[in-house]
Amino acid sequence: MTNLVKAERALTTQKVREEESQYLTFLLGKEMFAIGILSIKEIIEYGQVTSVPMMPSFVRGVINLRGQVVPVIDLQARFGRPSSLVGKRSCVVIIEIRLSPEQEQHVIGVLVDSVSEVLAIAPAQIEKAPQFGAKLRPDFISGMGKVDDKFVIILNVEKVLSVDELSALTERVEDSRQD
Amino acid sequence: MNMEQAFQTFLAESAELLQDMEDKLLGLENCEDATESVNSIFRAVHTIKGSAGLFGLDDIVAFTHVVESVLDDVRSGSFVLDEQLINLLLQCKDYIGKMVDSIEGESVLMTAEDLQLQQALTNTLSGYLNKVHSTSPATMLVGINETDDYQSVSVIESDITIANENWHISVYFGVDVLRSGMDPLSFLRYLATLGTIVHIETVTDGMPSPEDMDAESCYLGYEINFHSNATKNQIEDVFEFVRDDCQLKILPPYAKASEFIAIIESIQTDELKLGEILLRCGTLTQRELDDLLHLQTSVKQGGTHRLIGEIVVADGLASSEVVTAALHKQAQGKKAKEKQAQTVRVDAEKLDHLINLIGELVIAGAGVESEAHLTGIGSLKESAQTMTRLVEEVRESALHLRMVQIGETFNRFQRVVRDVSKELGKDIDLQINGAETELDKTVIEKISDPLMHLVRNSIDHGIESPALRAERHKPVTGNVTLNAYHESGTIVIEVSDDGGGLNKDKILQKARANGLVSPDTELSAHEIYQLIFEAGFSTADAVSNISGRGVGMDVVRRNIEALRGTVEIDSEYTVGTTIRIRLPLTLAIIDGFMMKVGDVFYVLPLDIVEECIELNACHSEGQEGRHYINLRGEVLPFIRLGDYFCKSQRKAKRENIVVIKYGNLKAGFVVDELMGEFQTVIKPLGPLFERVPGISGSTILGSGEVALILDAASLIHLVMQRDGKAMSVAAQQSALH
Repeated sequence: MTNLVKAERALTTQKVREEESQYLTFLLGKEMFAIGILSIKEIIEYGQVTSVPMMPSFVRGVINLRGQVVPVIDLQARFGRPSSLVGKRSCVVIIEIRLSPEQEQHVIGVLVDSVSEVLAIAPAQIEKAPQFGAKLRPDFISGMGKVDDKFVIILNVEKVLSVDELSALTERVEDSRQD
Repeated sequence: MNMEQAFQTFLAESAELLQDMEDKLLGLENCEDATESVNSIFRAVHTIKGSAGLFGLDDIVAFTHVVESVLDDVRSGSFVLDEQLINLLLQCKDYIGKMVDSIEGESVLMTAEDLQLQQALTNTLSGYLNKVHSTSPATMLVGINETDDYQSVSVIESDITIANENWHISVYFGVDVLRSGMDPLSFLRYLATLGTIVHIETVTDGMPSPEDMDAESCYLGYEINFHSNATKNQIEDVFEFVRDDCQLKILPPYAKASEFIAIIESIQTDELKLGEILLRCGTLTQRELDDLLHLQTSVKQGGTHRLIGEIVVADGLASSEVVTAALHKQAQGKKAKEKQAQTVRVDAEKLDHLINLIGELVIAGAGVESEAHLTGIGSLKESAQTMTRLVEEVRESALHLRMVQIGETFNRFQRVVRDVSKELGKDIDLQINGAETELDKTVIEKISDPLMHLVRNSIDHGIESPALRAERHKPVTGNVTLNAYHESGTIVIEVSDDGGGLNKDKILQKARANGLVSPDTELSAHEIYQLIFEAGFSTADAVSNISGRGVGMDVVRRNIEALRGTVEIDSEYTVGTTIRIRLPLTLAIIDGFMMKVGDVFYVLPLDIVEECIELNACHSEGQEGRHYINLRGEVLPFIRLGDYFCKSQRKAKRENIVVIKYGNLKAGFVVDELMGEFQTVIKPLGPLFERVPGISGSTILGSGEVALILDAASLIHLVMQRDGKAMSVAAQQSALH
C-alpha cells in the first residue's frame, strides 16, 4: 500500500519534471535566485527572530512558526557573502526538506531580501551549472534557468540547507571559539 | 481491532506475563505462597501459548506446551518446585521471551545456537514429565473420561453410546467474529496443535444469498472430528477468545447419542443434512445415524417428558468439570475487570499528543494573562488568573500521567543480582528503597540500561569474594542497595554496595599509565573517581564476561548526560561505593525562571535557582577581570552571560546575579534583567542546534517570541574547560619567555 503511494508520488514528481516546473524567484542583494516550489511551505514576513548564541553568522536565529521552533538561515551569509540587511521587503521562506525517505522532515526558514514571483521554467530552458564564475559553490546550483534572456540561479536546496553540513559548521564555530 | 493491533497487544502482554512469571518464580525461592504462584505461572505460560496459537506461531506453541505440561504436573502436586526446577523454568522464561522478540511475520527466527538451547530445555523438561508418568501411568484425562462414562451409564441405561474414539466439536462462529479481528482459521490452526483434525466439514447453511451477503460478516460453521488427548477444558480454551461470540459444542469420545441429538436440534439447519455431515466427518457410522434418528423420533413421540429428562441428564453430564470451568472463568473475568478499572492502557503517542497540546495551552494561557494585565480591567485579570491556575493543574495532572513508579524497574534487578552473584560464587542481597518514587516514563526507559550496568559493576567489582569479606570482618552476605528519592526538582537514583570501594591510588596509577592524566597532575578524590567514566578505562585485572572490559562506564555517563542528568561517585576504600545519578523529573515541561540578556530571553529551570542578587558597585569594585563575588562570606564564581554569548561589551545599568545550585556546583550568572517565574514548555531546537553546548532547548513565550533554555551544568563545565585551557596556554607562554 505504502509502496503504491510512493510509486504514485514518484510518478507525479516525474511528470512535473517532464513538463515544466514552477520556481519561486527571489532577490539576494541584486542577484536573482530560484527555488523549486514543491519544497516551499510558506512565506512569512521577517520578524521576532531570537538569535542563538555561539552560532555561525549564517544562522540568524530561531522563530516561532505556530508553536514550532524553526531555525532561520541567512542565505547571503551561507554563500560566504556579507549578511543580509533586514529591510521592509525582507521575508522568510519556510522550506520543508527531507534528505532521504527514512529521515524525518526538517523545516528551515531562509532569509531573503525580497520575494519576486513564481515562474514556470521548462526543462529545456534550464542549463547546466557553470563550473566556476557563479561565485557560488557549484554543488549549491542545480541549474541555470533562462528567463527573458537572463539567467536565474536555481538552488539545490538539499545541499544549501544540508542539516549535517550546517550542524557540523556550527560545531566548528564552537571549536574555534575555544582555541 | 485489526490483527496488527492485536499483535502489538500480544507482544506487550507477553512481556508483562513473562515478567510476572519471573517475579513469581523468584518469590517462590523466598518461600512465598506456593499454590497461588504456581497457578499464576501456569496461567502466564498458558495465555502466551493461547495467544501465540492465534497468530499461528507454532514454534512458540510447541515450546510453551511442554513448559505448560510440566507446570500442570507441579500444580497437581506430582512433584515439588525445587531450586533446580525454578532455575530451569527461569531459563524457559528467558527463552520464551527470546522467541517472542524474534518473531518476524508468521514465524520465529532463531539462531542455531538458540535451537540447541531449546532442545536442551525441552529434553530436561521431558525428563520431568517422564518421571511423573512412569509413577502414575493413568493420566488425568483418562480419569475424567472414566468418571464421565460411569456417570452417564448409571443415569441413563437406555441411551446409545456412539462408538467413536474421537472428540466431536461443533462450532458455529457468530456474524461479528471477523469484525472483532478474529480469524476462524487461526482457531482451527491452533486446535490442530492439540491433536489431529481427522475430518472437518464446513457448514455453509448460514450463508445468505449473494446480494444479501456482507463481506465483513462470518456465516461459517464447522463440524470437526478431532483426535486428541487433550481435556475438554483445553479444547474449550482454544475458542476462549470467541467464546461469547460463537456456538460451541464439544462432545467427548464415546459420547451419548442424546447429545448428538441435542446438537442436531440446536443447529438451525436441516436435521437430515446435519446427520449426513456428521456421517461424513466420520463421527457417526451409518448405523449409528439411523439409530440416532430413530431415537430422536421416538423421543419426540414419547412426549416432552422424556426430552426434558434428557436435557436434565445432559446437564448432569456437563456437571463437575464444566461447572468448575465456568466458575473458574467467571472468577477470572471478575479479576480482569477489577484490574481494568485500575489501569487503562493508552497509546504512548496519544499521551504525547495530549501533553503537546497542553504545552500549547500553557503558552496560550500565558499570552492571555499578559494581555489581560495590559488592559488593566480587574475582572478580566481575575478570570485570566483563575484560568492560569486551572491550566497549571491540568498540566500537573497531564504530566503525572506519564509518571511511573521506579519500583518495577528496580525489581527487575532482583533476577540480575541473583543470577550474577550465583555465577560469581558470591552471596549478595539486593535491597530496594524508594520504589514508589515516580518519574517520567521515557526517563525510566532510558535509565534502565545504565542502571543495569552499574548494578553489574557493583556485584562484580564492588562486592568482594566471601573469603576476603571474612578477612575484612564484614558479614559474608554482601549488600547492594538501590535507592531513589526526590531532591529539589530532580530525582536521585543511588546504586550503592558495601564492597571493596574504589582504590584511588590504583585508578590514578592506571590513568597515568594510560596517559589519561599527566604524571605530575594532582587530582582530588572526586576527580579521580570521575576518571572511571573515561572511555576504555578499567581497573579490573581480569576481564570477566560480566564486566571489566572498560567499555560501559563511559556509555553510562553518556546516556545519563543525554537525559540532562549527572552522575557522581562517593567511595571509601574497603568500605563501599555509592554511585549517584541525578536526573530531571520530566522532559516535557518545567517551571522556569526567565531573564533577559541583551535582546534575548533565557530560561533556567526554577529548581536550580537559589536566589537573585543585584550586582552592585561594591561587589565588582577592584575586581576588574575577576569573576567572583563574596556572597555572605562564600566565594561565588560567576559567568557574564552577555560576554559569553554576545561578545558585546554593552552593560545594562543594573546587572543582576542569578545564583544557581546544581548538585555540588554553585555559580552565578550575570544577566541584564530578571523577568521572573515562567511555565516553560520545552521545545527541541532541532538537529541544527543539537551540538550547541550550554543550551538545552527552547520555549515559546506568551508574546510569541522564542526564548532559549540554558543548560546550567554544561555551561559551567564549558567555562571551566575554557578557563583551564586559557590558563595552561598562558602558563606555557610565560614559560617560553
